Amino acid sequence: MERISSKHTRPLSPNIQIYRPQLTSVLSIANRITGVFLSACAVVLVLWLAAAASGPDAFSRFQSVIGSWPGQILLLGATFAFFMHLCGGIRHLVWDTARGFELRQIYASGWIVVVASVVLTLISWLASMLIAGQS
Amino acid sequence: MTKTDALIIKSSDQVPRHTLLKRFPVPRNHGVEPGSRIEPGRHWPAPEGATRIKTFEIYRYNPDSGGNPRLDTFEVDLDDCGPMILDALIWIKNNVDSTLTFRRSCREGICGSCAMNMDGTNWLACTRFIEETGTPARIYPLANMRIIKDLVPDLTHAFAQYEMIEPWLQTKTPAPNRERLQAPEDREKLNGYYECILCFCCTSGCPSHWWNGDRFLGPAALLQAWRWLDDSRDEATGERLDKLEDPFRLYRCHTILNCTRTCPKGLNPGKAIAEIKKNIAERRS
Amino acid sequence: MDRYRFRSPIGRAIGLGSAKAGFEHWWTERVTAVALVPLTVWFAASLIAHSGSGYEAFIGWLGSPVTAVLMILLLIALFWHTALGLQVVIEDYIHSGAKIWALLAARFGCFTLATVGIVATLRIAFGSWAGV
Repeated sequence: MERISSKHTRPLSPNIQIYRPQLTSVLSIANRITGVFLSACAVVLVLWLAAAASGPDAFSRFQSVIGSWPGQILLLGATFAFFMHLCGGIRHLVWDTARGFELRQIYASGWIVVVASVVLTLISWLASMLIAGQS
Repeated sequence: MTKTDALIIKSSDQVPRHTLLKRFPVPRNHGVEPGSRIEPGRHWPAPEGATRIKTFEIYRYNPDSGGNPRLDTFEVDLDDCGPMILDALIWIKNNVDSTLTFRRSCREGICGSCAMNMDGTNWLACTRFIEETGTPARIYPLANMRIIKDLVPDLTHAFAQYEMIEPWLQTKTPAPNRERLQAPEDREKLNGYYECILCFCCTSGCPSHWWNGDRFLGPAALLQAWRWLDDSRDEATGERLDKLEDPFRLYRCHTILNCTRTCPKGLNPGKAIAEIKKNIAERRS
Repeated sequence: MDRYRFRSPIGRAIGLGSAKAGFEHWWTERVTAVALVPLTVWFAASLIAHSGSGYEAFIGWLGSPVTAVLMILLLIALFWHTALGLQVVIEDYIHSGAKIWALLAARFGCFTLATVGIVATLRIAFGSWAGV
């Protein structure tokens, strides 16, 4: 059905080029992007464990890389990605019980995920700085 | 009027007054076939003496011309035209450019013919107020469809996927002499699913169907699949679930929920698909 | 498919027929997700609680039996969930012949990383961090 007689194929109407981003699609792609980003962070996690297992020198080298300001920005991003994927994931698990599908519930839970991700990121970083300051 | 400032959308007919992003920040022609790239089109000015003018940007494609699709700009006299987008399209066809081609029938939101993408979301042209669109109003055909002409999509594949879920009653017990009995509570379960008008706004708005539409059935077909799965009179439940349980036919649904957001009849394909997945889980344990 | 140029619309929709499978992947992704909720929260909270502590104290905690067990459970659940998630992402976006290689690479990568992580955890737990 795509081809008419000669070389012409019917054009495809634009999809992502013109479709409006809505909370539904934006949070869904955010869950996917944070998931893939966390997969990369999992590699770093394993390297960190290997460094810890290799002794204090390897570990402190690793810690200094994380402690540098690009490393801290990465860690902040990883924290935010973790909380967003965690909250988004819990939202998905609720949906898997076939609950929470009314449009107002979809939007309410969506905004809760956004707010919770930001708040949890801030809380965890503040707590970490406080505890590090005390030791 | 359903323009809203609310952060929490309660029904699919609500149109946000303000949007942060009108489109995803992707390059306009990224991944677009050369023959599908949209070129600038003609400008059709308003008739003289018109005071209330609204500008429309409308996707045009002429298969006989051999060219690419283009975007024409029309100025419509709102004092001479009905309140709905479909009224504007008919006004343009009657007064400005009679070659503008679109499907329409009932003009009351029940036949599903005039489904198209207006200001970035799929809806029926006959139930979308002109006032609810921005300036200019951007009218495109249903997203990710092969276009026959102007705003007319080729729905062959969408209907083939619908046919594949076997949308008819299947029984093993012989037909009774009277109607097949169904309790009122069982008939209630069909509410919210039987009302689908097969406009395909949902399937056309599903990103997963954009990327895998050849194998993923899409929300419209899956909502109807659930309508037959949940019908107490149907006796082919196991076979239906067997045919649906496939990594692509069913499980390309990642609960993006653009479908529920865009349904012009207020139905809930996302929920129907979740119920199908739940049924598949339940028969395993 | 090019070899089915004149296949009917319903034939094209049918494709190769239903795989009659797909539940296992969906279910396991959810089971690992449920396991990951408490495990990752525990891990994040532990990291925060140990902010600023020295290497010895940290390794002492990481090597303790309970921590080691939880850490290994976390690694298993995490890399299983990651493998399943990446599989879905690859299947969604890659349709050429490169798909199978991407799928293999993702799965092998997850297995390898999980193994490295588990071995590292065991080495810390059994105290042989002197590079032996």
